[in-house]
Amino acid sequence: MNKNKTADTRATAGANLGRRRFLARSTAAAVGVGALGGTLLSPAAWAAKAVGDHASATLLRMARDIYPHDRLEDKYYAQVMTPLAEKAETDADLKALLKEGVAALDAQAQQHFGKPYLDIAAETDRVTLLKAQQDTPFFQKIRGDLMMGIYNNPELWPRFGYGGSSWEQGGYRYRGYEKNDWIEGV
Amino acid sequence: MTTAFDLNDDSLVVIVGSGAGGGTLSQELAEKGIRCVVLEAGKRFERSDIENDEWKMFSKITWLDKRITAGPTALTQTSPNLPTWLVKGVGGATIHWAGVSLRFQEHEFKMHSLNGDIAGANVLDWPISYADLAPYYEKAEAKLGVTGTKASGLPYHEPSSHFKVIAEGSKRVGAHCRPAPLAINTQARDGRPACQVTGFCMQGCRFGAKWSTMESSIPKAEATGNIEVRPDSMVLRIEHDKTGKVTGVLYVDKAGNQHFQKARLVAVAANSIESPRLLLNSASDMFPEGMANSSGQVGKNYMTHTGTGIYGEMPDTVNMHKSPVVPGLVSTWADNDPSRGHVAGYELEILHIGLPFMSAFLKPGGWGRELANSLANYENMAGFWICGEDLAVESNSITLHPTEKDQYGLPIPVVYKGNHANDTAMIKHSNQQATAILEAAGATKVNVMDRYPASHNMGTNRMSERPQDGVVNKWGQSHDIQNLFISDGSQFTSSGAENPTLTIVALAIRQAEYIADQMQKQMI
Ligand SMILES: Cc1cc2nc3c(=O)[nH]c(=O)nc-3n(C[C@H](O)[C@H](O)[C@H](O)COP(=O)(O)OP(=O)(O)OC[C@H]3O[C@@H](n4cnc5c(N)ncnc54)[C@H](O)[C@@H]3O)c2cc1C
Ligand code: SF4
Repeated sequence: MNKNKTADTRATAGANLGRRRFLARSTAAAVGVGALGGTLLSPAAWAAKAVGDHASATLLRMARDIYPHDRLEDKYYAQVMTPLAEKAETDADLKALLKEGVAALDAQAQQHFGKPYLDIAAETDRVTLLKAQQDTPFFQKIRGDLMMGIYNNPELWPRFGYGGSSWEQGGYRYRGYEKNDWIEGV
Repeated sequence: MTTAFDLNDDSLVVIVGSGAGGGTLSQELAEKGIRCVVLEAGKRFERSDIENDEWKMFSKITWLDKRITAGPTALTQTSPNLPTWLVKGVGGATIHWAGVSLRFQEHEFKMHSLNGDIAGANVLDWPISYADLAPYYEKAEAKLGVTGTKASGLPYHEPSSHFKVIAEGSKRVGAHCRPAPLAINTQARDGRPACQVTGFCMQGCRFGAKWSTMESSIPKAEATGNIEVRPDSMVLRIEHDKTGKVTGVLYVDKAGNQHFQKARLVAVAANSIESPRLLLNSASDMFPEGMANSSGQVGKNYMTHTGTGIYGEMPDTVNMHKSPVVPGLVSTWADNDPSRGHVAGYELEILHIGLPFMSAFLKPGGWGRELANSLANYENMAGFWICGEDLAVESNSITLHPTEKDQYGLPIPVVYKGNHANDTAMIKHSNQQATAILEAAGATKVNVMDRYPASHNMGTNRMSERPQDGVVNKWGQSHDIQNLFISDGSQFTSSGAENPTLTIVALAIRQAEYIADQMQKQMI
């Protein structure tokens, strides 16, 4: 997950322990990315009836644009969008919010770039469109759910280097709270 | 042992709130043989309720009754109904607190004498000096088990990785980082175990290593048989007789039934939002502007500390979450040196939050690749929470909303907080120093956060020498009503550069002596 460290690892040849640990982890992540081929999960894999394939795919694209982590597989974003879309099957207000939100986004996309949101290749162009939407209840709903779904997802915490609950393992008292092998002067 | 007192027993002390102030006062009075009822709006939590999970604990124990954030800062937009981050439960915000236990500095009791009048501020000297409080600080340190103090005999916590990174960065800029004095056991002491370094002090301590009134004062008070704690009991108003003396409090229990508890004396310790709110809600024909408010200062001079967070992205792993939450402090700029462009000082407090809170607070409402990249660097982050002295400003205040009511039918509080020019200058200076330290330690990017909901709340029933300047005298006793006391952080005349709890506890110990003495002399 770590940009700084990638650059750092390239720059410093004699990798210390910490860096070796990181390399092991980033290799595993790279395999994951490779397996996905970098393409979006096909809508059918998660889309819900309520909003349809196009809106589902658009929501997923949008989700990745809001909190872009290139090494995170689509399924983690889909995990956040799926319950939303499922809920929309029985919740008319939510269904309207999602469908109309996607429609508005597409309308803006057509107006500025002559194609739907999904087909806009450059992230910066999509971000420009999202910025114009960022105060809408539609955008806020998606952003809020994603924030919780990505960063408050225990399954993903190890990928961010966050430990989550530790008391069950007796905390870090005997598990390396003092460990630091790179800062000088210690 | 469960003690139960009669509603009509008018010989009791009634304490409103069981946090740092109320919980301590109850223990101190109980140990002197004085019988008290503690009315606590929140419920009782057990240690097994404590989870290492930021959002779960947030929704479990936070005071979420409706409030309105007002004022010209971004918090009004980003946190419109959560101006403060406090606890509703037996133990109050001591369940949440990080345990940093600092004494005020000598000069911080006389900021007006030191700096003179400051335009736009309402700065006042405390009616007590450091020397008055010093013996009680000693007692408070012993009670809480503050590390690194003579009073406790406990050593400091060993340096965590987070500490080491900041200590080295500090050294490189000529500043000094020291271990934080914490009310967190480093060895088993006073019936509580040593810290296991779970890293979740602000979600409550699962091991009970951290002092809180929930873990310590309240059970000890109850063990004397002199205290009855009634959880789920929200005090609605304080009543008085024809002479203006307080007679008891009206409260509502869990089932929604109202009761009137008689009292010989009422001590309000409901924190700096709810205490003034309760006084304002207790307005009567005799006290049309609210109880104990002849000065007009009830609810005014609300102070929170400058309170920004600042996080650097380091070139390698820090794992800041593997540490007591506040392992160290940089106190280099805690003095009063106007040559910096501001009066009063600040502490840079090393502090971590978890990834879930970081995603919410790093850039409130934010999104996009830059933010995502910073969050992807979570394990490399190191940083501070900045605790700087806020000046008293009269317009920073707690007022009652003219129409909106809460679930108890009480007008909801409007919490107004702006920054004085001095606060703004201090924030700028402290951000610069903190950035320099983080960069010296190798940070490639430094993120300056906006203020988050205030965890330190002070000043809204302040102490003053003269009755026209404040709400209570040097004992926390109302200037207007002899048997009405304020026992929490709302008594503070100034906010200091230090976290408030040790001072709240020291004041409560001192106040208990005074109350016992006055009761014995039949003065109250
Ligand atoms: C996350 C966090 C970290 C902190 N870290 C530190 C730290 O490291 N060091 C430090 O010194 N301080 C710290 N603090 C601040 C510290 O917790 C508070 O300063 C302290 O608890 C305030 O004590 P108090 O008695 O004024 O109020 P509280 O502890 O807030 O207690 C007030 C109690 O009154 C109850 N109450 C309110 N209204 C009513 C009513 N009408 N009827 C009945 N009961 C009522 C509330 O439910 C609450 O339990 C922290 C706070 C937070 C939130
Ligand atoms: S780090 Fe120590 S004090 Fe903090 S919660 Fe964990 S065990 Fe308790």
